[in-house]
Formats: sequence, structure tokens, C-alpha cells
Amino acid sequence: MHLRTDLRLENVTLSAGSSVVLKGVSLQTSLAGITLLSGRNGTGKTTLLRALLGLDKPSHGSIFLRNAVPEDIRKDVGYMPQSIGDAALAIPAFSHVLNAVGGACWGLPFHWRARRREAERVLKLTGARVFAHRPLGALSGGERQRIGLAQALIGAPELLFLDEPLAGLDHGAQNEIISLLCELSRNLGIGVLMTSHETSSLKDVVSRTLLLEGGHLRARI
Amino acid sequence: MLEFEFMRHAFAGCALVSVIAGPVGWFLMLRRQAFAAHALSHIGFSGAAGAVWLGFPPLAGMIAFSLAAGLAIGSEHEADRGAPVQRDGTIGLVLAASLGLGTWFLHMANGASSLATTLLFGDVLGIGRNTLFSLLAVAIVCLSGLGVLCRPLLFSSLAPQVAQAKGVPVKIAALGFMAVCALACSACAEVAGALLAFSLMIGPPATALRLNLGPLAGVTVSTLLALFLSWGGLILSWETDAPVPLWIGLGAALLYGGAGLWVRFRNLSVRTTSSIRAQ
Ligand SMILES: Nc1ncnc2c1ncn2[C@@H]1O[C@H](COP(=O)(O)OP(=O)(O)OP(=O)(O)O)[C@@H](O)[C@H]1O
Ligand SMILES: [Mg+2]
Repeated sequence: MHLRTDLRLENVTLSAGSSVVLKGVSLQTSLAGITLLSGRNGTGKTTLLRALLGLDKPSHGSIFLRNAVPEDIRKDVGYMPQSIGDAALAIPAFSHVLNAVGGACWGLPFHWRARRREAERVLKLTGARVFAHRPLGALSGGERQRIGLAQALIGAPELLFLDEPLAGLDHGAQNEIISLLCELSRNLGIGVLMTSHETSSLKDVVSRTLLLEGGHLRARI
Repeated sequence: MLEFEFMRHAFAGCALVSVIAGPVGWFLMLRRQAFAAHALSHIGFSGAAGAVWLGFPPLAGMIAFSLAAGLAIGSEHEADRGAPVQRDGTIGLVLAASLGLGTWFLHMANGASSLATTLLFGDVLGIGRNTLFSLLAVAIVCLSGLGVLCRPLLFSSLAPQVAQAKGVPVKIAALGFMAVCALACSACAEVAGALLAFSLMIGPPATALRLNLGPLAGVTVSTLLALFLSWGGLILSWETDAPVPLWIGLGAALLYGGAGLWVRFRNLSVRTTSSIRAQ
């Protein structure tokens, strides 16, 4: 597989509140396969992911994903936030996924069939179909991660940014999610960028690690 | 009962209000903004008092006041990272300020006490043809607004951070929705009074959410329940001579309690059947 530059940071300074996450960082890297973004609590992994999505703006420098600014390739990027939130727990998980399909458009939701099919597809990919009819609040942590992952996979993105997809899972569940991610990156060619503290469970599957520490970001193959 | 024109008007008014309260209330409850509904209808009361003092129709004052307040509430900063915002403080203060104004308006308008009673408790039996047309207009505006907003609103209510990442204008959706809410609250206050306007906006949708229904089923059920509550309230008040809001308010609480019992019963029966199967 040819390695292209998926992510390019040019002299980026990024901060969240009063803490500095990146201090004038320049970096180029491919995101093919699985990339682990690692760093201690509070170093700014979530903030960096949000900046890559165009949600937090760097105070200096520029970020390019596949030679585009983050805002321009939103539809090619899937995102799963660190906490999928405690919003609307009474609603069936299936609705959470279904309404994320084409959720950014104005007007009444037509194309029922196509939207349903897309929701079924991503739920099947993440193995979440069996429990998707239950309210989100009635799902376990691991089951919710799968729903979040399904949401991120809507629209067949080429890049997947996952914030702590393994948090709160036991070893069995972690391995299930990890092999799911391997499958996605192998079969669908999706580049996965994920944060996690489970470095030992991940060491055999990641293609590279980006270490965030004290305002610096270093790549290690 | 239906041979009287005022009763026919009352039924029509209730139907229009239910068609507004069901869908708008469902989104409100989904977004946990019950307090906003409560506040907006009380704020509308101040607006109505002001309008009466200045010689405008009360509904116009209600709409103007609650629209302004709705925009003030909705324009508050979203919390960082899409976390649910602690809006209660702002809502409470906007409410306090406008109720203060309301008492002053009442003081300035003559015959304050009877006016206040009408505004606070509503006068569903006194709905005229003009009010009916205004309600119809409000219903059309509310429902078309909601129709335009529904997808971004739903997405950003269900998964705020993902929605933002996909470029949903979360802020615009929230503001637009607050404007729709303000209109809806004014319409409800016309029937149930400012004190109880939110009972129609909260009772039926809360029941639908308690039943774990998805958006389409939830909106439909809460609209039907709102219709059931308001028409039921009318009929009961005809039979018992008690004011309509009494039955609407009590009925809303009973519906919610009943839904809770039903869900418990359902879970229990699922558990027993599965344990019988397991044996
Ligand atoms: N809204 C905010 N206002 C002020 N400071 C913030 C805000 N959000 C984050 N921070 C600070 O920015 C720093 C980076 O936060 P971030 O959530 O990106 O860390 P993280 O690496 O994802 O941590 P964790 O491993 O716990 O998820 C932290 O020190 C945090 O306190
Ligand atoms: Mg984090």
C-alpha cells in the first residue's frame, strides 16, 4: 500500500483553556491502518482530535487532512467522542443511529428506506444489531461504544477518529472492539486514529503511535 | 355540549394547541428543557399584561415577550464540547426579570386582578373566532419551523458532539427551536393559562419518552395524548363545572404515572416469561 500524507501539521499551536496542548508542532504522517494517539490524562488528546475535526481552532499554524482543511473533509471523517454523552437515554439506540444518517440536512427526513438501510449496515458492521432496539440507557458501556462506533461509520468515512473507544471495557470486550477495528481498516481501508491508555492490548495491531507529551507530538512507527 | 358555539370553539382551540404542544414538547423534553417551557409560558403572562395595558391583544404581547425571552435563553453559550448546558440559571433570571415587569404592567393596567386571573388560568371557553385564526397561524408557523429544523435538532439533541463534527449548525438549530417554543408556549397559554400552559407541553411528551418510543412514534403519541388531555379536560369540566386546567394538570401527572406503571409491568412480564422459558 502506498503511504500518503494523511495528516500534516504546520507549526501548530493549540490550547484548551489555559493549558497548552501543542507548542509549534510540525508533523507529517500517514494514518493508514491503526494509529494510536497516546499521552497521559490531560495532555490534550481529546483537544487534538477536536482540532483535527475543525471543532477547536489552533491559535497558530495550520492543520491539513489529506491536503484539505478539516472543515472541508467532514464527510470523509467519522468521529466517536470520548463520552457519547447522557443525552436522550430513553430513546432506542436504533434511533440514535438512524437520525445521525443525513442528520445535518434541513427539512423533513425523506428517503426512509435508504436511511434505514444505512443504519442497518453500520449496526451490522459493529455487531450492534441485536440490542439496537433497546433504549440507549438500557445498554452496557461496551454496547454503547458499539452504538457510538456505528454512528461514526455512517456515510462510509475514510478516516475514523475514535476517542477512548476501549475505556471501561473488560479484556474480552476490548479485544472484540480491537479486532473489529482491525477488520474495518483491513477490509474497508479505513484509517483509524484512536486514543487509548490500553497500550499493551494494542501493541500488536497499531501501525504507529503518536505520543503527545508536554506540548510536543512525536511519531513512532 | 357541541350545540354551543363557545364549546365548538373551545374544542377547535384545544385541537390546534395539542397539535402544537405534542411535537414541540417532545423535542423540549428530549433536550431536557422542561424548565424553559415553564419559564416561557410565565414570561408570556408578563407580555400579555403589558399588551393589555398598552391596548394590544394579549396574544400579541405574549408572543412578543416570550419570543424575546426565548432568543435570550437560546443564545446563551453552548457548554464546551457539547456537554448539556446548565441553562437553569439564565432561564431563572430571565423569568424573574420578566415577572417583575409583569407585575408592574398589571399595576399600570386597570382592573388588574380579574385580568391577571384570566391570563394566569386561561379562558378556553372564551375563545373567539379571531383567536382561533391566530392559533391556526401559530400552529402553521410552529410546525413548519419544526419541520425545517427537525433533522439538525434531533441529531444535535441525540449526539451533540458527533453532530458538531459533521458540521451541523448546532447553535442555529437551538436558537430556532427556542423561537418555536416561545410561539408554542404562547399558544398553549391561550387555552390552559400561563400557569398551566406547560402541562400540555410536558405531560404527554414525558409520557411518550417514558414509554421509550423513537422520534416518530414519540411525536405521534404525544400529540394524541395532548389531544386526549385537552378534550378530556373540556368534557370533564363541562360535566363537573371545575376549571379545565384542573383536569389537564391532573391528567398529565396521571398519564405519566400510568406510563411508569405500565413500563414496570412490561419489564416484569418479560422477566417472568424469560425465566419460565429458562426452566
Ligand atoms: N473547556 C476547557 N476549558 C479549560 N481547560 C480545558 C477545557 N477542556 C480541556 N481543558 C484542559 O485542557 C487539557 C487537555 O484536555 P483534554 O481533554 O484534551 O485531555 P486528554 O488528553 O483527552 O485527557 P484524558 O486522557 O483524560 O481524556 C486538560 O489539562 C484540561 O484540563
Ligand atoms: Mg480525552
